[in-house]
Amino acid sequence: MDKKKLATNILTYIFLTVFTLIVLYPIMNVITISIRPGDKLMSTSLAIIPENATFRNYIELFTNRPFLLWAWNSAIVSFVVTFTGVALASTAGYALSRFRFIGKQTTMLGLLTTQMFPATMLLLPMYIMLIKLELLNSYLGIIIVYSATALPFCIWQMKGYYDTIPFSLEESARIDGCSRWQAFYKIIFPLAAPALVITALFSFMTAWSEYIVAAQVLQDTKLFTLPLGLKSFESNMSTEWGLYAAASLVVSIPVVVLFVILSKWLVSGLTLGSVKG
Amino acid sequence: MKKHLQVFLMFLMLVILAGCSGRSDKDEIVIWHNMRPEETKILQEQIDEFTRKNPGIKVIQLFKETEEMRSGYIVAAIGGQGPDLIYGPSDQIGPFVEMKIIKPLDEVFDTVFINSFNQSALIEVEGKLWQLADKLGNHLMLVYNKKMVPVPPTNDKELIEIGKKLTIDKNGDGRPDQYGLVWNYTEPYFFIPFLTGHGGWVLDSLNKPSLDTPEIVKALKFMKALRDEYKIIPNEADYNVADALFKEGRAGMMINGDWSWSGYGNAGIDYGIAVLPKITSTGLYCKPMIAPKGFSINQRVEGERLERVKALLEFVLSPEKQIETALRVKTFPTRTELYSDKRLLADEVLNKSMQQINNGIPLPIITEMRAIWDAMRPPYQAVLGGSITPNEAAKQMQKQSLIKIKELRESIENPVWGLIVQILLLVAAGVTLFMMRKSITGFFRNLKKDSFAYLLSMPAVVIMVGVIFYPFVYNIVLSFSNMSLAHIHDWSIVGFIQYAKVFSEPQFYEIFLKTIIWTGANLFFHVFLGVTLALLLNKGLPGTPIFRTLLILPWAMPQYIVALTWRGMFNYEYGSINLLLVKFLSMSPIEWLKSPAEAFMAVIITNIWLGFPFMMIIALGALQSIPQELYEAADIDGAKWYHKLKSITIPLIKPVMIPAITLGVIWTFNNLNIVWLVSNAGEPSDKTHILVSYVYKAAFNLYRYGYAAAFSVVLFLILLAFGLTFLRKTKATESVY
Repeated sequence: MDKKKLATNILTYIFLTVFTLIVLYPIMNVITISIRPGDKLMSTSLAIIPENATFRNYIELFTNRPFLLWAWNSAIVSFVVTFTGVALASTAGYALSRFRFIGKQTTMLGLLTTQMFPATMLLLPMYIMLIKLELLNSYLGIIIVYSATALPFCIWQMKGYYDTIPFSLEESARIDGCSRWQAFYKIIFPLAAPALVITALFSFMTAWSEYIVAAQVLQDTKLFTLPLGLKSFESNMSTEWGLYAAASLVVSIPVVVLFVILSKWLVSGLTLGSVKG
Repeated sequence: MKKHLQVFLMFLMLVILAGCSGRSDKDEIVIWHNMRPEETKILQEQIDEFTRKNPGIKVIQLFKETEEMRSGYIVAAIGGQGPDLIYGPSDQIGPFVEMKIIKPLDEVFDTVFINSFNQSALIEVEGKLWQLADKLGNHLMLVYNKKMVPVPPTNDKELIEIGKKLTIDKNGDGRPDQYGLVWNYTEPYFFIPFLTGHGGWVLDSLNKPSLDTPEIVKALKFMKALRDEYKIIPNEADYNVADALFKEGRAGMMINGDWSWSGYGNAGIDYGIAVLPKITSTGLYCKPMIAPKGFSINQRVEGERLERVKALLEFVLSPEKQIETALRVKTFPTRTELYSDKRLLADEVLNKSMQQINNGIPLPIITEMRAIWDAMRPPYQAVLGGSITPNEAAKQMQKQSLIKIKELRESIENPVWGLIVQILLLVAAGVTLFMMRKSITGFFRNLKKDSFAYLLSMPAVVIMVGVIFYPFVYNIVLSFSNMSLAHIHDWSIVGFIQYAKVFSEPQFYEIFLKTIIWTGANLFFHVFLGVTLALLLNKGLPGTPIFRTLLILPWAMPQYIVALTWRGMFNYEYGSINLLLVKFLSMSPIEWLKSPAEAFMAVIITNIWLGFPFMMIIALGALQSIPQELYEAADIDGAKWYHKLKSITIPLIKPVMIPAITLGVIWTFNNLNIVWLVSNAGEPSDKTHILVSYVYKAAFNLYRYGYAAAFSVVLFLILLAFGLTFLRKTKATESVY
């Protein structure tokens, strides 16, 4: 029995290692681009550490470019969207999971349909609408648009997770004298931690990486978010590849950090699954 | 409770912060441009100098990628907004003039000022001036590495001779390690010099396409011979491969434009530039296209604002500023008084540039050029890929360009249908309301009973409806309209014509099938890999947190750079994937980016890599909802792992996975970016498109907005049908308990 377990564990490690290598290799290439002199996207050499490797691009990024300003702007926008996403999706998802009411099916389907139109086609009317509401060049406009982009998935996902939590938990809470709100807020909400983590990550990422809407709405360089900033390294046939790669790597660090912090709840002991014997 | 108050206060603070920093000055002059980083730096310096001299005027400059600038400007200008100044290549002027979104400049500047420019810098359409160029050029020339090529070739014979000498297989593996000549030869713009060298041109004297000519066939044969017969150019080279080879000193000569030269100097190459060679059989020089780049003024700029914009332009376009820019980045100025300037004549690069500009052909300022490029590209690449002959390619180019021009110029008028559709839409809305009457009355009757549920879901629903309703309706209305280049401001409802066109599109069904393969393959691997990895990570073995963190990296990285990295990895000669196949699996290398099926596979592989971490995260979350006791009970019953998987894991993660899968299908179906980046907008020969990238290229880019809207409604309906069926089958809208 133990031998068998050992064998499966070794297999598991092998599979995980191989996969991690597949994941890491292209990213190693990006690192190579970021430390390669001469702004070359391609190289005929496969060396991971290029000739004359230099950290010039990283230094340039933090000293000569408003990278920290963009990061700060992106952080504000992303955190507001994350809060909004978690707050609205956790409540709406709960309603859709627990109650039968008229308009429930329509709402659920309606949420899905909002994702079905190609985004490029919605840009013109969205832009006209934001002009009329005087939300051009303001974060409020993109925050609302990003929240609306992230919500359908978040709500569906929250609803799906609530569905796996037995009804009996709230019933006993109600018997113990909790109000409906308290039963949700004190009992079910904490139990849905893994789903809340996914909602938070997804909302954050939606805002952190969005480019098309931001490019149309934000014109003031002081308001630029990271994707807009990164774009300014690009240019037709003479992109600053080194800088772009360096910035891309730095941009992904906060996402990874957020994931590491939140994974405590993604795979934590707070949940139903951990009621271990 | 105190803790939650803190969280709430923090949130409030963030919102206020976001609101406050979201103000900007309405009086500043905004410039959109597509300048290179070095040019941008100079522009910013000039702006700074200008604002110092003119306190009270604020100017900001924004870089936009050419295509995005064009479409973004159109969107903004239709909305009555957009930058005050737009700087770009002269070929964007045609559509801007037709859409009436830029201003005639002869009404702004006096004739003395205008006449001080080179004639080619004055971009005129219909007898009016629309753009003032500050740079002449975008011209291709022969760049050579002085260490390898002491004297540049002057004709094709010498070119081939020098090229053969320099194409060397150093390590004896049967493949050259150094090439005589490289350039971005998959792009028709770079083919033009060979066409003109053989006596051909893309237009006839009436500005109609003339592509089915003996000259074009000869030029295509010549190009193919360089690669297949004389073997002096690489088997596969796009812009970045060519660039890398030349920068690494592994190519003796390169054909590239004025934008690239200073980059070669920076990369440490001792380079020289020369006028493109002569073709001996015709006695003609290879003439590149000369495309001026310059400023246009937004139609809406008036009064005092216009005066400020004018002052800025006069400053930036002044001879001193132009020569300064020219000497620093080697672009060619437009003020004629500079042509006898000693500094310009003394500069080797600028001097050679002048010779080439005098020996070039101006890029035609007609809107149709765009359709012609789009028509040339697929057959051109098919010839290079060997699937058609040069003769067939010439025929196809001509035929396609006529079709595309017709599409670009389409102008549908149908007032009768317009009325009928309007009535139909009203009736449909009425019928829907009538059908829903029970739900609506029921809604009000039960409002009180269900108030808690409504209260919880209301904020989200309000935001969704607020954001999406108007764009949604707008798009549906647009899909019944004739909005196109001919009717940009005065579009009207014309009925189902656009829909009829979508379904009679010969390529629709083929691309639809590809889209299904694309979506199916991606989703299968995303879910399969995601769930498998999540199960392995969920075993709680030591070290899993590290694996878990590393495995989400593809999701955390900005897609643009990784997608292009993958494109590099698929390169025929230098890509690591082929190297792996050859070295470790002893397979023959695959022409990933040159053959349609392989290119499509390359795109799918890239997207699988990008997409599985997301499914993995969701599956990890879903696994937490499974009570451990269930597994323990199964263990006692002696269940095997696949029994547990089938009867415990899968049913219990289903409620969480189904929404993710449904949305995954929708997102993948409409995922434009990856296809666009990895296949370089559908290469080879527009064979790697999925529906959404096809509509973008064939409709949106040709300004056929009504058609594009109808197309996207069709996409919407396909996905709606899928969504409804899938959800009914999986009962995802119902609760489990």
